[in-house]
Amino acid sequence: MNVIEINNLTKTYGNARGITDLSFHVEEGEIFGFIGPNGAGKSTTIRTILSLIYPTGGSAKIFGKDCIDFAPEIAKEIGYLPSEVFYYDNMKVIDLLKYSASFYKKDCKKRMNELVEIMDLDITKKIDDLSLGNKKKVGIVQGLLHEPKLIILDEPTSGLDPLMQQRFFDLLLEENKKGATILFSSHILSEVQRLCDRVAIIKEGKIVTVEKISNLKENNYKKIKIETRNAVDRDYFNITGVNDLTFKDSTISFLFRGDINTVLKKIAEVDITNLWIEEPDLEEIFMHYYEKED
Amino acid sequence: MNIFLNELKAHRKSLIIWCIGIIFFVVSDMAKYAGLSTSGQSLNELLAGMPKSLQAIMGTGNFDLSTAIGYFGMLTIYLYLMATVHAAMLGANIISKEERDKTAEFLFVKPVSRSKIIFPKLLAALVNIVIFNIITWVSSFYMVKIFSKGESVSSDIASIMAAIFILQILFLVIGSAIAAVSKNPKRAVSISTGILLITYILSIVIDLNENIEYMKYLSPFKYFESKNVMFGGGLDPVFVVLSLVMIGVLTMGTFVFYNKRDLNL
Repeated sequence: MNVIEINNLTKTYGNARGITDLSFHVEEGEIFGFIGPNGAGKSTTIRTILSLIYPTGGSAKIFGKDCIDFAPEIAKEIGYLPSEVFYYDNMKVIDLLKYSASFYKKDCKKRMNELVEIMDLDITKKIDDLSLGNKKKVGIVQGLLHEPKLIILDEPTSGLDPLMQQRFFDLLLEENKKGATILFSSHILSEVQRLCDRVAIIKEGKIVTVEKISNLKENNYKKIKIETRNAVDRDYFNITGVNDLTFKDSTISFLFRGDINTVLKKIAEVDITNLWIEEPDLEEIFMHYYEKED
Repeated sequence: MNIFLNELKAHRKSLIIWCIGIIFFVVSDMAKYAGLSTSGQSLNELLAGMPKSLQAIMGTGNFDLSTAIGYFGMLTIYLYLMATVHAAMLGANIISKEERDKTAEFLFVKPVSRSKIIFPKLLAALVNIVIFNIITWVSSFYMVKIFSKGESVSSDIASIMAAIFILQILFLVIGSAIAAVSKNPKRAVSISTGILLITYILSIVIDLNENIEYMKYLSPFKYFESKNVMFGGGLDPVFVVLSLVMIGVLTMGTFVFYNKRDLNL
C-alpha cells in the first residue's frame, strides 16, 4: 500500500520557483529520502501535501485520501517537523507540548515524557530562551508525541549536535520498526544514505530520479585526491572508471566509479605523501544524473 | 476549545494594558471636568466662538459642556477611536500572527480545519472586545456619575456603549477579513489601522463639508455619532442594519478567503 501518492503535482508561485509535474509514491513502512539542493522544491512539495498551500495542478493522496479534501482527518496520523522551527515565544516548553497534544484525541502523555527523556529536553524553559538546537528538539518531541503513522521531516538535522542527531536517527529507526512510514527531506546525502531505503532526487522543481539507495551507492562516484612525491605519468591513472582527471603541481585528482580495489592498488604502487577519498557532494551526484540524461 | 483558551491567554496582557489605558483616560479626562465645571458657562462660550472646523476636529459637537454628561459626550469620540483601534488591530493580529510568527507550520498541520482554527480565534477576540467594552462602560458610568448633579446618565452611557460595541465588532471583522485576504501577514495590522484612520478623517471632512453628507455611509464613525445617540436619540436602525450586514459579509469573507489561500510560510 502507498502511504503517499503524488500524481503530476504542480505548484507555481506567480512566475518563480515551485514544482512541476511531480510524481512519486512512498510505500508503507519505508523510509523515503527526498533530496535536492536548497530551493529545489522540497519544502514546497511537503507543504502542498500537508495542504498548507494548494496545488495549481495534479493531486496527492495520503493514506489513500486526497490531501486537500481530507486534510484534517489525514493530519491525525501525521507528525511534521518543519525545516525552521518556530513556536509561541511566550510559552514554556511543557505548555507548548501540552497544547500540541491537546489536538489529538488520545493520551499522549506517556510518549511525550519518554521523548522528552530521550531528547534530553528541559521542559521548564521558555521557548524564547531556547537555542536553535533545543527548539529543534521541541519540534521533534511535538512531532512524534502522538505516535503518528506518517512522519514528515523537512531538513530535520540542522542545528542538532552529532550526539543528538544519532539519538534522533535511532528514534526514527525505532518508530519505523513499529510501523511508521517516514518521508525524510534533506540536502545532505550522507544522512539520507544512512537512513533511507529509497530516495527521490529533485532539482529545479522536477524529479530527476527515484532510486533505491543501494543502486545509488553502486553508481556512486568517489572523489579521490592524491599528493605524490614524484611526478607521475599522466596516463598512469587513466583507467576505466576514472573521470575528470586533473594534475596540479604534485596533486592528482579525479572522480572514480567502479571497484574501489582497482584504484587503491594503483595508488599503492605510487609513492604518495597524502591521500583524500571523499564522497562526492550533492552537486556531483546531480552532475552524474545530468550526464545520464544527455 | 484549546485554541480559544490559548488565544485568550495570548492576548491577556495586551488587553490588561488597553483596559488600564482606557480607565486612565476616562478618569483623568473626567477629572478635568471637575476643574472646568466651576467656569462651565464660559467654556461653552469659548468653544462656540471657535471656528466650526476646529470644533469638528475636536469633536465638541453641540454638547453642553457645563454638564458632566455633556462633557462626557465630547470625550466619546476618543473612546470610539480607542475601542475601534483595539478591535481592528486585534482582528488583524489574531488571524495573521500565526504566519507572522511562523507558527503556521505548527498549528495548521494539526488535525483541525482552517475554519475550526479561525472560529475560536474570532470568538476569543469577541471576548476581548466585550471585556474592553464593559471596562469602558463601568469606568465611564462611575466617573460621570460622580460629577453629575443627580440627573440620570445610565441610559445615555448605555446607548454609547452599544454604539461602541457595534463599531468594535465591525472593525474587528474588517481587521480579520484583511488578514484573511492579505498575502503579507506583516502588513495586515497596518492596513487595518490605516483604513480606520482614513474613515475617521473622512468623518471629520464630512463634518466640515455638508455637500458630501452622502458619504457618511463610507465612514463607520458617522453611523452612531454620540450627539445623535445620546439624549434619547438612540441608534439609527438604518445604520444598525448596515453595520450588521457588513459584519456578516466580512465574517464570511474572513472564512472564505482564509480557507482558499496559500498560507504565507
